[in-house]
Amino acid sequence: MARITKEERKTNIISAALKLFSEKGFYITTIPDIAEKVGMSVGNFYNYFTSKDILAKELVMYISEYLGESIRKINDQDITTEKKTYEIVSMYFNMADERPEMIEYFLRVYLSNREVFGDGCEGMICVSPFVTEMMMFFNDGVESGDLHDQDFFSAFGLFMGYLGGMVFLFGEKILPEPLEWYKESISQNIYNALKTR
Amino acid sequence: MPSKQDKKPSIIWFQGVTCNGNTHSFLNLENLDKLLNKFEILSHPSLPSTKDFDTITNCTLVCDIFIFEGTYDPLMKRNDVLISKVVEHYAKNAKYVIALGSCASFGGMFKASAPHRNSGLLFNEQEKSGPLLNVQTKIINISGCPIHPEWLAYTLSMIEKEREVEIDDLHRPIELYSTLAHHGCTRNEYFEWKVDADGFGEKEGCLYYKQGCRAPMTHASCNKILWNGVSSKTRVGTPCFGCTEPDFPRQNLFSTKTNMSIPEDVPLGVPKRSYLTMAGIAKTFHINRLEGKLIDYKTTD
Amino acid sequence: MITKQLIDQIEGEASIFFDMKDDVVDFATIAFPHFRGMESILKGKSALDALVITPRVCGICGHAHLMATVRALENAYKNAGYPIELSKKVEIIREFTLVMEMIQNHFKWIYLTIIPEVSKLTDSTRESTPLKGAYAASIASKAIAIFGGQWPHSSYMIPGGITTDPTNIDLLKVESYVDELISFFEKESIGISLEQFLSFESCKDFNTLSSDISYLESSLVTMKMNEKGFAYDRFLVIGEHTFSKPSKLKQTRPFGIDAKYVNTIDSYSPDKVSYAKNAQYKDEFYETGPLARAIATNLPIVKNMHRRFKDSAYSRVMARVFELATLLKHAKGLLSEIDISQKSCLKSVDISKITATGTGVVEAPRGPLLHTVNIKNGLIQEYKIVTPTQFNIGSSSKSNPTPAQKAMIGMTQAEALFIFRTFDVCSVCTTH
Repeated sequence: MARITKEERKTNIISAALKLFSEKGFYITTIPDIAEKVGMSVGNFYNYFTSKDILAKELVMYISEYLGESIRKINDQDITTEKKTYEIVSMYFNMADERPEMIEYFLRVYLSNREVFGDGCEGMICVSPFVTEMMMFFNDGVESGDLHDQDFFSAFGLFMGYLGGMVFLFGEKILPEPLEWYKESISQNIYNALKTR
Repeated sequence: MPSKQDKKPSIIWFQGVTCNGNTHSFLNLENLDKLLNKFEILSHPSLPSTKDFDTITNCTLVCDIFIFEGTYDPLMKRNDVLISKVVEHYAKNAKYVIALGSCASFGGMFKASAPHRNSGLLFNEQEKSGPLLNVQTKIINISGCPIHPEWLAYTLSMIEKEREVEIDDLHRPIELYSTLAHHGCTRNEYFEWKVDADGFGEKEGCLYYKQGCRAPMTHASCNKILWNGVSSKTRVGTPCFGCTEPDFPRQNLFSTKTNMSIPEDVPLGVPKRSYLTMAGIAKTFHINRLEGKLIDYKTTD
Repeated sequence: MITKQLIDQIEGEASIFFDMKDDVVDFATIAFPHFRGMESILKGKSALDALVITPRVCGICGHAHLMATVRALENAYKNAGYPIELSKKVEIIREFTLVMEMIQNHFKWIYLTIIPEVSKLTDSTRESTPLKGAYAASIASKAIAIFGGQWPHSSYMIPGGITTDPTNIDLLKVESYVDELISFFEKESIGISLEQFLSFESCKDFNTLSSDISYLESSLVTMKMNEKGFAYDRFLVIGEHTFSKPSKLKQTRPFGIDAKYVNTIDSYSPDKVSYAKNAQYKDEFYETGPLARAIATNLPIVKNMHRRFKDSAYSRVMARVFELATLLKHAKGLLSEIDISQKSCLKSVDISKITATGTGVVEAPRGPLLHTVNIKNGLIQEYKIVTPTQFNIGSSSKSNPTPAQKAMIGMTQAEALFIFRTFDVCSVCTTH
């Protein structure tokens, strides 16, 4: 059997931690819990992350990079802003469906425990890859004439707040239909709200 | 036998559609007399000249350096002679043609006087389609509205010393136009940390985010070779209007064009994505020293 | 027979068409070619862009255009219901840089235009020193640049104030440039102290001098310019300033004035298309510029000149010299009043909220400069510029000549050409 590289082991820790944080909650989950789930000693764990807070920040970076990379692939396509809107909504909902722990972590841990992310993760620092791609999406949309010019945060809040709300309802099992079912109408609603009048 | 006097390179300074701004800016040159002594001025709009204007428009003599100030309008006449004829004659016979100012370089301010026919000597805005295409190797564009006197003095001195003036794609001397107006701006730290100016009339803050400053996108040495030897637009809180570039004058000069709050144009050569990443992170930090009046910040650490 | 004379080495180019009778000018018409369409260039643009565009009307007095624009915009703000308060500091600094531009203009005119002409016409062997004018002008430009960033083509005045927030270091530098100008003027131009010069009360006082200015003065007398070049002996000052006083003057009698009575009419120029319109006040022609301003402010020496030589070419030239002297002193006084702790720019509502018409009038080197702007939702609907040269050097019919036309009648052609230049011609402004 091939030896697991340090990078792979780090990824394993991240996956395990995300699952535990979303199942048990951030504060209840301990480092021994995570180490056990990955199958390593607590001592060895500290070779990867020196504290739970540092792990918490790395997780946000990890998710932000994942989202940023996915949106960048959409931004780089030669398609209309309307189609891009659909693709972003679709990507986000797929992620909520297939890797709910990532979205859960982002919404429940990162946004609700700001004190953990104060030092070195303020503002844009940890979420920069994701926010930058959303900026590119809006910038390109206005430049191409598809979207109307407005304040960035007004548009960003409308887009991401809406998606976050739907994923929350989905997580609470309130939605009568699967997320897939809502992609078309929600992306239409978002695009209609943002498009050039 | 030709005397030493005769060996001085001769200059004809001729005007098209102009405001005389380059003429007056040039008169501000320090040690103007020393520069002028190296040349024979056959004709100039305000300095003593050895030939009268009738002789110039008769097109019977030639000069070494033909300086053209103003927008080129093929239908314009000077002294009842079409300038197209005058320009063609002197450009054909001169060693160098200097298109002086943004009007002569690209069309500039007075391209709008007759947009369908006016242009610079070699360029019509960015497009190389001006009337002097056939002598383009002689043409040096000194863009700017107006030119800085030292930019012209540098170019003339290089010619007089028979040294090569290297030029960029837009025929501007590289030594003058490879830097950006941003280089040397006293507000650079505010740009780095993304602290924008709170309106006009303050020493603090960067003018790029709201006030329309074009300095990071403009090839010029305004903050390196200071204006009138003492200052520059950005140093007195006026945004750079990009007056050395082919698209001058742009519109809405006192506000930054943004798309959803994101600057439409980012610093030259920087990919927008990289710029946004860097800007977003820099904006996160709040640096006390940069947020108040400089003069109120009395701690020294 | 009509003969044409090209005038170059003024600001731009002009043609005079002389109708000679018995070797003297029976009548002359003036044409300014080279239309640039500034007013239509401005149409549709953001009103603030005018602050960048109008200084480019003119390379020598662009700063006066900037000030006329900012006054017109501020007047439009007021008329739209958003009056703008300026700090005292702003008023002084704007006035100071305008004064400095006048000083550079007058130095250049004296040394690059009028002394060389005088020497030519009197066959003088005196060495020509045109670069003295350029040097002094460059020092005045430095003083402007400390506040305005650069000269020419600064755009540092904006509605609500100025873009700059000067320090004491800046003020000290500016002061040293003004001192340099004063000592240059004393040493190189007049040969006595500025105070002594300003205390002159009679033209006879010039006889005590031996300098560039006394050379100019005595040459004018030799040329009999104190008996020539008379216009209407009516004057107009419209711009509100600390160095002058708005008034309409018939001889030296002042009357009230209101910019709204300025009108323009098509020029009469049968031999060549001219793009200049003639400017009038209540349908009458008036002379504008330094002579007008000196009479409006009761400057003793100029009043003395006027009493003896009326509005002759002599008075016109010497009034400009004296204005230079008074402005140098005035500039120094202005600097001493600046309180840097005051606000440089007060925030005003966004220009897009403004729908109104505004007028701005300033005294430019050659006289009143009027800008009128009509703004709708922050965009320029219409922009109208009337320049001083349109008052002085219009071209009208023989029955109702303009000041410059009137001043040339009865002269030899050489004299007429000189007299024409005594008005300090700005062709580029005129054909905006």
